[in-house]
Amino acid sequence: MGTGRADSEDHSHGGSSHGNFGAAGEYSDLDFDPHEFLYQFNTGRGEQENVPQDTYEENGRTVREFTFQAIDTTVTIAPGIEFPAWAYNGQVPGPTIRAVEGDLIRVKFENLGRHAHTIHPHLRNLNPEMDGIPQNGPGVLNTGESFTYEWIAQPMGVHFYHCHSLPLKEHIHRGLYGAIIIDPDPERVAENPEEYCNFHRSQITDELRADLVAEAKTRNHESPENDEVNEMVMVMNGFDTNFDGDNEVYAANTRAFAYGVGDTDGRGNWKAGETKRPIQIDRNQRQRVYLVNAIEFDAINSFHTHSQFFDYYDHGTTLTSTLQTVDTVMQCQAQRGIIELDYSNHDPGLYMFHAHQSEFAELGWMSFFEVV
Amino acid sequence: MSKPNTDGGTAVNRTERPLGLPKWAAALLPILLLGLIAGGFFAATPFASLDTGGEPLPDVSVTYTTLPNDETVVVHVTNNGPKEVTISQVLVAEAYWNFDVQGAGGDNTLAPRESAEVVIPYHWNPGWDLEVALMLSDGSTVHHTIVAPNQSPGLTTELLLTMAVIGLFVGVIPVALGMLWFPFLQSMSDRWLHAILAFSAGILAFLAIDAGFEAFELGEQVPGAFEGTALVALGIIGALLAVQSVSAWRKGRAAAGDARAQSGLWIAYLVALGIGLHNLAEGLAIGSSFALGRVSLGAFLVIGFMLHNVTEGPAVVAPVARGERPSILHFLGLGFLAGAPVILGGWLGSLAFSPTLGAFFLAVGVGAILQVIWELREMISRNGQAASALNLITFLVGLIVMYVTDLFVAL
Repeated sequence: MGTGRADSEDHSHGGSSHGNFGAAGEYSDLDFDPHEFLYQFNTGRGEQENVPQDTYEENGRTVREFTFQAIDTTVTIAPGIEFPAWAYNGQVPGPTIRAVEGDLIRVKFENLGRHAHTIHPHLRNLNPEMDGIPQNGPGVLNTGESFTYEWIAQPMGVHFYHCHSLPLKEHIHRGLYGAIIIDPDPERVAENPEEYCNFHRSQITDELRADLVAEAKTRNHESPENDEVNEMVMVMNGFDTNFDGDNEVYAANTRAFAYGVGDTDGRGNWKAGETKRPIQIDRNQRQRVYLVNAIEFDAINSFHTHSQFFDYYDHGTTLTSTLQTVDTVMQCQAQRGIIELDYSNHDPGLYMFHAHQSEFAELGWMSFFEVV
Repeated sequence: MSKPNTDGGTAVNRTERPLGLPKWAAALLPILLLGLIAGGFFAATPFASLDTGGEPLPDVSVTYTTLPNDETVVVHVTNNGPKEVTISQVLVAEAYWNFDVQGAGGDNTLAPRESAEVVIPYHWNPGWDLEVALMLSDGSTVHHTIVAPNQSPGLTTELLLTMAVIGLFVGVIPVALGMLWFPFLQSMSDRWLHAILAFSAGILAFLAIDAGFEAFELGEQVPGAFEGTALVALGIIGALLAVQSVSAWRKGRAAAGDARAQSGLWIAYLVALGIGLHNLAEGLAIGSSFALGRVSLGAFLVIGFMLHNVTEGPAVVAPVARGERPSILHFLGLGFLAGAPVILGGWLGSLAFSPTLGAFFLAVGVGAILQVIWELREMISRNGQAASALNLITFLVGLIVMYVTDLFVAL
């Protein structure tokens, strides 16, 4: 009579005898919250306290101005594990910058770290002085030095910025990198649609033009259509904690397993933790991931969704997808792209996503969407 | 005010009141001053300017691992460093895994020289190497590979019995068989008996060399905090001095006319003790190999051990071949002392093998054996020439026999 019940009780708290993988314990350092980072876009309107910023008009152009400071700090990368990081404004990944095509991005950069740093943007930069490399412009900035970088926000897409000081491997993997998102200007898309798809100008139909403009509006944070989309930034990174030239921790947005379940018995039951919990998403909303690969020491990284296929826009520089209906994409270092997800036909529940290098997944780059 | 005093022919001037202090105060003075200076250091911190905030590196070692069942891995760790360390995460085969630290006072932090067990629920595969890494709070990692994992036997009466039977066959029986050469030894001339004693010394010398290398090798696995190499050296010298001082005391008694202290029985017991300590270490090796599931105690291996140990029998009884034959009880005692430690070593080795204990036992055995070789040399030179051609050759034969039979018992 009571056997079945006793059996199920046993399973609910007994835990699997095989043990469970995943980082033990919760995060105690709450300075950085990967769940908040997903949605933190700095457009110049003061979105983040630790990123002084402003937006104004100058010579008929919108300027988005940010103050960046490189500092030496420690970041928590797994429960109980501190990593000595070099970070823009104290966070890894660095603050996400967002602008609209054609804007001027002005970054007032001050180096407060012990080593010389720069900021190198992966943008179409017409002034080589602004490239943020040791051999050009102001070169590397020593401790206490400042420089104001100015970049034209082009092309549309999801881009990467990082320190270009040498040794490059160390300056990147210590944490000096982040994402820049350039939204399309719908008016410009209407005028030059061929620049946003793989068709020749002669092939552009009115219907295609309208589709491209509509898609551009969903990407532009100043359009009401953009509010319909849930946008997330994921910077895939890793940390070599013991200096052996290989990463001990892998993650999307720094913290191992931060988007994992808090606790599970391995038999289908799980509980969200305080700091380790799935990303909750609304199944009726369109989901977009701005994915950037910042991994050091490994040749590639990847993004794989369970029970789901998506369209992928490599570098985000087109409004028509570069890959349709795939469940895995691969990126080399600095490669990035936009992932468009639709869970409207899925039952509510947990959907896993992770790097499909098993090693990376088991070392922290293992996450879940909780579709509600 | 002083008066001359003699000590072994050296004249010294003894001062009754050094520095004008009573003797006890003079003895305590340096200790008192040391205490004051040490106290002053804590109070005044005169080297504060030298404290650059440098941190000693964490030093944690995995002493051994046990696999109590097919879904548990237990890693035994010791903190060797001068500061406490925290085990924040555990990786098994390059994957973060849940774990429990036991024996560190309820948390994951180990004080200097503190040991603990990291218990990992993991369904390991027999024979498939398993890499475990402990990740400390500063991100440094301590790697340990469990080569070809096999279940640890654990404490059962069956195991105790098995080790006792093994010990009986590889230790007690061969030594007892070897002792049966006693009547034959009695019938020998002095010249040949000396040759047999030299042969025994050769056997012992090989055991000392073999065990010495093994002790230093094992000493490298000893957690750094216990200074494995120094511990082995201390064990060897300590045992040598301890046995030598007992021997010197015996000679004093013999010189004073104590008949019992004069007999060769004493040397026989010393030989038995030295061989017994060696066999204890042999038992430890068998037991730990057994515990790791590394040994198949087939007939060949047991016969190898028997061949190896049978030569130890005559070594034990050769010193009593002259003079009055000791009682049968002494023979039983000698055989037990030389052979039975294999059983004890087997138990210790299979239950709680620790490299520290193993290296120390081996070192003590080496020290005891070195003293016994010295003792045998004295015994021969009492009414013969120790370094005769025949004796040197039999000494060499002893070394070679042990080397050859040792090849049969590679664990």
